[in-house]
Formats: sequence, structure tokens, C-alpha cells
Amino acid sequence: MEIDLCFRIALLVLLASCVAGPVQGIRFVLDRKECFSHEVHWEHDNVDVSFVVIKADNPWSFNRLGVDLTVEAPNGRLLYNGHQKEDDKFEFEAPVRGFYRFCFSNISPMHETIDFDVHIGHITSREELAKPEDFDPLLHQISVIEEALYGVRFEQHWLQAQTDHQAIMNEAMSRRVIYKALLESAALVACSFLQVFLLQRLFERKLGKGSRV
Amino acid sequence: MERAKKSSASSRAGLVLPWVAFLQLVLMAGSGLVGVDALRFEVPAAATKCIAEEIQPNVLVLGDYSVVSAGDASHRITVKVTSPYGQQLYFQENVQVGQFGFTTKEGGNFMACFWMQNAPQTLTISLDLDWKTGVAAKDWEDIAKKDKLDGMEVELRKLEEAVESIHAEMLYLRDREKEMRNINEVTNARVAWFSIMSLFICLSVAGWQLWHLKSFFERKKLL
Repeated sequence: MEIDLCFRIALLVLLASCVAGPVQGIRFVLDRKECFSHEVHWEHDNVDVSFVVIKADNPWSFNRLGVDLTVEAPNGRLLYNGHQKEDDKFEFEAPVRGFYRFCFSNISPMHETIDFDVHIGHITSREELAKPEDFDPLLHQISVIEEALYGVRFEQHWLQAQTDHQAIMNEAMSRRVIYKALLESAALVACSFLQVFLLQRLFERKLGKGSRV
Repeated sequence: MERAKKSSASSRAGLVLPWVAFLQLVLMAGSGLVGVDALRFEVPAAATKCIAEEIQPNVLVLGDYSVVSAGDASHRITVKVTSPYGQQLYFQENVQVGQFGFTTKEGGNFMACFWMQNAPQTLTISLDLDWKTGVAAKDWEDIAKKDKLDGMEVELRKLEEAVESIHAEMLYLRDREKEMRNINEVTNARVAWFSIMSLFICLSVAGWQLWHLKSFFERKKLL
């Protein structure tokens, strides 16, 4: 009974310590401006943010168009201000708890698909517990490992988004090679026919007008 | 003596245990609430907002959505969740709170779209969406009860699932990289062959020009 009680308290402690958010990776189409809010429950939490522009609406755009991202803390302080970036990955320590606002804005007329990921990591330290003697170092270590794993997933999500963009670009490049070659050949053939036609016309006219040889 | 000691210990535990169990339940239930890790965004009246994610096959997906109530106005939204092949997985009209869950059969882009029906044009409402996949979507309380696991085992099993999902995603990344490598090699070959073709066409067309003009001048008795 005693052991069961101990474990239940440990489970409580662990749940209280590990309610930190797992990764929230989403994709959306950015029109002009789009804002997301995410709540941070404890101050001094580490917030990891990443975004990747996967593709623009127009398949013939030659390079990715950048977007602007601003991150605003609940107290109004601007934590991050990025201009015209195609991808970025950064982290910051949350100064206060509350709703943090992530706003994307797009100045180009084309819609862009953006992959956005936020990860908020929190590990309960000994000082935060109501009863410090409940602190179990083993469970604390497990929560540290869990936090590290979520960090790995966050990096992996970013890699995946970048790979998706590269795949789209590579397929487009492969198609463009063929179009370029065919267009070039057609232009060459058309040009040479035009040359021959013009020269023939020129000589016929000159021969018609001028004296016979 | 032994039995008396045990009974006193159990009576002490009996007082504390229900309280601990209650708190445990509250915490476990609390972590399933929408507001905990939800992403909040705005849905304007005229537009449809869609949130998507690339998900592997055989992954449990759980979504909780709720309209953030501004004052006493109760606005309702329509939700539609579609699979990568356009198949509708969930559809609810004019609701304020809801939950959807499914297991992905194929891998690809799963999309949840929200829009308002019959709303005034200037209205914009805030929506909380908690989109969980894989490890976070599983009902750990249920699994712990079914398999009779204690706290440590639940956490370790969560870790195991997280590691497995990382491994699966790594394998997917590797396959994707292989595909891209193939495309790059095909592109490389194409650049070479099509350049040669272009050059060949250019030379043959130049040769044709020379021949044609020569025969033309011979006909006109200039050569």
C-alpha cells in the first residue's frame, strides 16, 4: 500500500512536471497576414520556433519568396523580427507566461505554403515543487530525456520541411531542363528558316531589279 | 502486532489515497483539455482557414477545437478534415467545441479546414486548435489502467514510442533523400543529353542552310 501510494505521488509529480507541449508542426497557406497565438505556462521556458516556406503558389517563380515573422510576448515586447526570410530556426527564453503571438506577413502577391513549428519545453526543477522531498531524481532524469527527444523531433520536422521544399524544387528543375532544351531547338530551327527565307527574298529582289550577270 | 501495524498504515494510506487519486485524475484529465497546448488563430467570416500537416501512415491523430468565446456571443464554425486523397474524414456543421480522431491509412498531407456559415462579413472569431499526432495523441491514462502500469512505466513507454516515431521519420527522410538523389541524377543526365541534342540540331540546321543557299545560288547562276 505504501509503495503504491509512493508511486501515485511520483506519477502526480511527473505529470505536473511534464505537461510541457510536444511539437506542434503545421502547414498553412499564407495570403497576406496570418497570426497564431500559443500559450506558455511557465516563465523561463525555452521556446523553439522554426518556419520554412515550402512553395509559392506560382510554379514558375524562380526562387522562394520570403516572409516576415514577428514574435510578440504577452507584455508587448518584440522578441523576434525577421524580414523576407525563406526559412529560419531560432529559440528564446520566455520572459513571462501567457499568450505569445507569432505573425507572418507576405508582401508578394502570391500565396505561399509555410511550415511552422513551435516547441515549448519545460522541466520542473526542485524549487518549483510544492514539497521538495517529493522530487525524485530518476523521474527528473526521465523528463530531461523526454525533453531532449522532443528537441530531436523538432529538428527533424525542420529537416523534413526543408527536404520537401528541395524535392519540389528539384522536380521543377528537371522539368525546366526539358522545356528549355525544346524551346531552344525550336527557336534555332525557326531562326534558321527565317534567315534562309530572308536571304532568298533579298537575292531574288536584287536579281530581279539589278542587271543580269 | 504485525496485523495492527499493517491496518494502521493502510488506514493512513486510505485517508491520503483517495485525495491523491483524485488529484491524479484531475491532472490527467486536465492535460487533455483544449487550452493547454492549443494553437490559437483567427477565422474571418468570408475566408476558409486550413491547417495541414504531413503525417506518416498508421499514426493516431487527435484534434480538439473550440471557439474562443468573446463575451456572450456564441459563434459557430464548420469543420472538415480531409485525407491526402481528398477523402472526407470528419465533418461537423455549426459547432463550437468538438474533437476528431483517426488513424492515418496513408502518408501525406492531412488538412483540417474551418469556416463560418451565415455570419456577418466583418466578423472574425478566434479558434483554439490542439492538433496532436502519435505519442501525444494516445490516451495514456487508459493504457496505464488497462496494462496496470505505474508512473515510471508509463513514462518509459512514452519515451519508447517517441523514439520509435523519430526512427520512422528518419527512415522516411532517408527514402525522400533517395528519391531526390534519383531525380538529381536524372536531371544531370537530361542536361547533358539535351545540350548535345541542341548542339546537334544547331549544327544540322546550319548545314541545311549552307546546302539550301548553295543550291539556290547555283539555280540563280550566281555560283
